[in-house]
Amino acid sequence: MPSYADVDRQIEQLSECKPLSEIEVKNLCDQARAILVEEWNVQPVKCPVTVCGDIHGQFHDLIELFRIGGKAPDTNYLFMGDYVDRGYYSVETVSLLVALKVRYRDRITILRGNHESRQITQVYGFYDECLRKYGNANVWKYFTDLFDYLPLTALIEREIFCLHGGLSPSLDTLDHIRALDRIQEVPHEGPMCDLLWSDPDDRCGWGISPRGAGYTFGQDIAEQFNHTNGLNLVARAHQLVMEGYNWCQDKNVVTVFSAPNYCYRCGNMAAIMEIDETMRRSFLQFEPAPRQSEPDVTRKTPDYFL
Amino acid sequence: MERLSADADDDFGVERSTIGTAMLSLEDPIMEEGEESSSTSGGEPSVFAPESIPPRPFREPASSKYAALPWQGHFDEEHDIIIPATGEAFHVYVAGSQGPVVFCLHGGGYSGLSFALVAGKMKEKVRVVAIDMRGHGQSRTNDDSDLSAETLCSDVLNVIHTMYGQNPPAFILIGHSMGGAIAVRVAAKRVLPTLAGLVVVDVVEGTAMASLIHMQKILSSRQMHFQSPEQAIMWTVKGGGALRNIDSARISVPSTLKFDEQKQCYVWRTPLQDSEAYWRGWYEGLSDVFLSCPVAKLLLLAGTDRLDRSLTIGQMQGKFQMIVVRHSGHAIQEDEPEEFANVVLNFIARNRIGTFGSEIPGLRRPIQLRSSN
Repeated sequence: MPSYADVDRQIEQLSECKPLSEIEVKNLCDQARAILVEEWNVQPVKCPVTVCGDIHGQFHDLIELFRIGGKAPDTNYLFMGDYVDRGYYSVETVSLLVALKVRYRDRITILRGNHESRQITQVYGFYDECLRKYGNANVWKYFTDLFDYLPLTALIEREIFCLHGGLSPSLDTLDHIRALDRIQEVPHEGPMCDLLWSDPDDRCGWGISPRGAGYTFGQDIAEQFNHTNGLNLVARAHQLVMEGYNWCQDKNVVTVFSAPNYCYRCGNMAAIMEIDETMRRSFLQFEPAPRQSEPDVTRKTPDYFL
Repeated sequence: MERLSADADDDFGVERSTIGTAMLSLEDPIMEEGEESSSTSGGEPSVFAPESIPPRPFREPASSKYAALPWQGHFDEEHDIIIPATGEAFHVYVAGSQGPVVFCLHGGGYSGLSFALVAGKMKEKVRVVAIDMRGHGQSRTNDDSDLSAETLCSDVLNVIHTMYGQNPPAFILIGHSMGGAIAVRVAAKRVLPTLAGLVVVDVVEGTAMASLIHMQKILSSRQMHFQSPEQAIMWTVKGGGALRNIDSARISVPSTLKFDEQKQCYVWRTPLQDSEAYWRGWYEGLSDVFLSCPVAKLLLLAGTDRLDRSLTIGQMQGKFQMIVVRHSGHAIQEDEPEEFANVVLNFIARNRIGTFGSEIPGLRRPIQLRSSN
């Protein structure tokens, strides 16, 4: 039994929103990689478990989430990706989740979102935040290298299929997903990209996603996927929903979004989905955590010409 | 770094030679500072002895480095489109002979030539049309000062109807800044049945509205008089910083100038400071109108912090595609023409926009057909 003294101390430090040192991050990522490489593309998860959506570096809201949903490891958690970018505390957020994974590997599952990618994090803030907080890009590299190992999807008790984005026209069975080689940067297109980028849509069939990556899929697609694979629900994140969760496609699909007042400006509720030991689902909504000091959200006025 | 040291060389050459004062006035003061430090940091004076100076590689003198360049080679032709009802003449540049039409609307104070470099890079695959908007470039109208959103929208529709009549090809509307606002409002009118795509370049309601109060100051801090187009090109790239790509500035900036006979110098063609009454009308409500447009949408931005609440929600719900072009100024099409052209061509291909419109139905196949491929 390895000693968890170090990681326990790190979890405590991170819970106060204090980032780890560069070398600590490196060691943490090394330990996490050894755990994640053993996990499956469709990682089995037992109930009870609490399912969470996008966090996006909103560290104080993640702490609020644990306050509402229960502390790890007292509550089992399944996070469906997008831990970094946009919020001001991506480093502390992803460090804490990875530390919890290292400490309680069977009690917390962390999936990959479309933002757990080298390319996206260079545009939407995580890369810049690492540079700002560490003075170099090493920490960004440790984390983005680790992201390649995150599982793509999870399966709760063979009933609820969880992933960040949605379905892919190239993947009609879970076995197709199990066969993917996931240890790589998120590709621009193809089945692995679709799982992290697709959205449900009111229209039937497959559609071109307005996002520029992935597809839209209709209720017919979700029904067939659930039927083929013996599932009763697809749970996913990826889309902001004002109430924090949103049923769609005749309860074949549910969206869970866990970043309240996303980007400190959207005014949305957040939610998490509790699955109890009898597989009954309930939703807990929450609002932004009260903060002593609001992050500076004033944006630089562009020197626009007209 | 290479460019900096080359510039320093240039300045050095100017100082050492007897080139006239007109040319000296072209030199950028910042670069002169750079030259200063490099010449004093040498230490050993002997390295400046004539025998130790290596032969200077040939470089264009500053005067031709900023010389105006023709649009030919990028666009194929230019035309005046006369609107039958009013007799007003709108100048358009066109390129390419096949594929859907990419119809480009420039920003306030720019001209159709703002899209010259991207036209050259896209014309093998699509037709590119760039219009000089009312009060800009070589367009001549009955009231050049009316830059209201409503008037600019009907100008665009009138030009499209005059050019293509009752059977227009598939369109993608691209608009930059003010032109982006007009493109959105044209698309939202739903009167162009073959409109298949909308590309908005670096304009967002929230940030545009917030910056309006600074706009008169920004406008009044512009240099207003130039001895030559070259001077205006240099000012745009170095002094004003409105454009970062000198290759584009040399093509586009001259078309934004006119010669003032009275003052015997070049001035800006469009008196933007007089158009303030119309600014709010361009941008107010723009984000929601954009989201409501019933076509494929792409928002190209020069920075992530430009999204307002409506567009942040819209993007996070997957309602449009957003691409951030790093290291670009506000005029992305001019600063990063290669990336701009690739992004737009990918957008057109991904949304399957062909000569005759979107070919979406073919994609909506049931799952069995897809997986049997």
